[in-house]
Amino acid sequence: MEQRLASTWRMSVNETKFIENSLLSDLRVDGRRPFDYRRLTIKFGRDDGSSEVQLGNTHVMAFVTSQLVQPYRDRPNEGTLSFYTEFSPMADPSFEAGRPGELAVELGRIIDRGLRESKAVDTESLCVISGKLVWSVRIDVHILDNGGNLVDAANIAALAALSTFRRPECTLGGEDGQELIIHPPEVREPIPLIIHHLPVAVTFGFIGKENIVVIDPTHYEETVMGGRMTVTLNTNGDVCAIQKAGGDGVLPSVIMQCLRIASVKAGDMSSKIKNAVESFNTERALRKIKRHNSSAPVDVSEPAQKGGTEFSDTHMCRLNLMSEESRVIQSNGMEVDGKLLQQEETIMRDSDAKSFIGGPSSWDPHSKGVNSDALRASPASQVVEAPTKKLEDPKVDQPSDMELTQPVSDNTLPNEVANTGLQTSEEKTLEDAIKPKHKRKKKKKKASSQQ
Amino acid sequence: MDIDRADGRTANQLRPLACSRNVLNRAHGSASWSQGETKVIAAVYGPKAGTNKNENPEKACFEVIWKPKTGQIGKAEKEYEMILKRTVQSICLSNVNPNTTTSIIIQVVHDDGALLPCAINAACTALVDAGIPLKHLAVAICCCVSQNGHVILDPNKLEEQTLKAFAYLVFPNSIISLPSEASSKLRGEPLEQGIITSVTQGVMPVEDYFHCLDRGRAATSKLSDFLRKNLHLQTPNNPSKAG
Repeated sequence: MEQRLASTWRMSVNETKFIENSLLSDLRVDGRRPFDYRRLTIKFGRDDGSSEVQLGNTHVMAFVTSQLVQPYRDRPNEGTLSFYTEFSPMADPSFEAGRPGELAVELGRIIDRGLRESKAVDTESLCVISGKLVWSVRIDVHILDNGGNLVDAANIAALAALSTFRRPECTLGGEDGQELIIHPPEVREPIPLIIHHLPVAVTFGFIGKENIVVIDPTHYEETVMGGRMTVTLNTNGDVCAIQKAGGDGVLPSVIMQCLRIASVKAGDMSSKIKNAVESFNTERALRKIKRHNSSAPVDVSEPAQKGGTEFSDTHMCRLNLMSEESRVIQSNGMEVDGKLLQQEETIMRDSDAKSFIGGPSSWDPHSKGVNSDALRASPASQVVEAPTKKLEDPKVDQPSDMELTQPVSDNTLPNEVANTGLQTSEEKTLEDAIKPKHKRKKKKKKASSQQ
Repeated sequence: MDIDRADGRTANQLRPLACSRNVLNRAHGSASWSQGETKVIAAVYGPKAGTNKNENPEKACFEVIWKPKTGQIGKAEKEYEMILKRTVQSICLSNVNPNTTTSIIIQVVHDDGALLPCAINAACTALVDAGIPLKHLAVAICCCVSQNGHVILDPNKLEEQTLKAFAYLVFPNSIISLPSEASSKLRGEPLEQGIITSVTQGVMPVEDYFHCLDRGRAATSKLSDFLRKNLHLQTPNNPSKAG
């Protein structure tokens, strides 16, 4: 049945000839020059470790998850990285559901080799108990739309997702010190993976008898091309992998030229990925600040630093200054891990998120007219590092508008206020904050259009 | 009577809806639908020639492929595929293109409760985007019953897991009809009061189920309006998407 149903789309001779002929004058069908990449957009989902990449018409999503498993016997203190590619029938009428076809397997292997063999992801840091428990990181790549050059897009998606993925922190504890405690993200900030370098894949297509080289072929060019080569390299100038499986033969000098071009392109891609990841991390840090409202009672008993006992009953009007203080405190706090853990436990027993009186008076960076860029630029980078653990944020109060007795749950806040740059809540009361959906929808739309 | 919901909604409030059509290039029809944090992308290819051996060749056939976010495809995904397929079969005009197969592919982007209704809505929009002939549209909604018998609409994942029971309900699109009602009556009942699909989980008393139905039906008018507005607004797309 699949054979009958699979699309029997074939390129016409006219289209083939047109592509080949226009390449003779250095023109490609979509107006690019032979060594230009298409427009790349990297977006992230709300969770850590989910990315969505659009390279021209090619649309790819990647999700990273992790779980604790037993390590391989010959590598007892290394975690594992596994890679699953799904060529969804959504992407192309000729992709079929079920067993991955050879293209899917090849793509998976190229990306896997680029990441694993080059030791881009540090697997030793994934070990929890040597020989017994290690983290196994699983990357799922879903191809949504096949516009050509799936390897590069999938690679970028995987790298972006890995860069933003965070695994839960776990410590040995319990009565005998042998029990493994996995801390949920609300209690302890999850830890990002250690990534040494970004191996970026660059794909070349060889079209026509003269073997004209094009970079980033579209799916029309892929149908026309006689051979392809994928080079995976990083910004340090290391070649992580080269894949040229059959196809037309090319001169070694052409291959060397491709490598040189690829190293330039890899640099571009790496910087784009890094920028996208950074802005995601910044936004995440800002969101974290709101989220930890619910655990603010946690820090009530951190005595000398904040005079916290008054906390539960009043709002504190603090300035930005407090955020810096709190950052300092958190880095101190990190050294006193055990003590903090105890504090958390006692506090969690006493209060729970919902009844937190302080309510949604989130530390809104914009309510005092703080310049959001300044905020992002300096503190945020520090904020990301340590303090988001229990960033008890001094509530910069929305003056006199807060109704203390209204326990509004946290969840409104991240949505409400995370739209950085949309400062609309200055004048409004708490009631407005909890008025839901149609408002949020508009804000969300605005946020996305602003992005 | 007021339920305290975690995100501040009342019992009858839906999460913010967002829908976009034509999000993919290769697919004949595609749509992305999100309710709150739950987001689903649907793509439609078809009609393609030929049907499955088991299917009736005198009618159009549908196949649904459900792709979860991570992990293997298991029984739950197969069940969703089956429910979606039967729902779609009931809204499509199956005599228009006999001996053809239309594929609907669902990709879960994020699951925060009410996943199946979101997928059904997305699939419906994608079918419209692909131009598959339909009798009417379908709108899906999830209703939850709490411990004290209150009915809540559109729960998120936490609410779904903690409340007593929930039901996924699919209704036909509400009709904006002209004064003559004779044509829209089916066996004495107006057509828009029918239910296409109902999937329940958990135990609930019969009255509560009927309450769910009523609430769900009332909510479908809001959903239908949203859907209609969305389908109107899109500009005409490129003529040919084949290949």
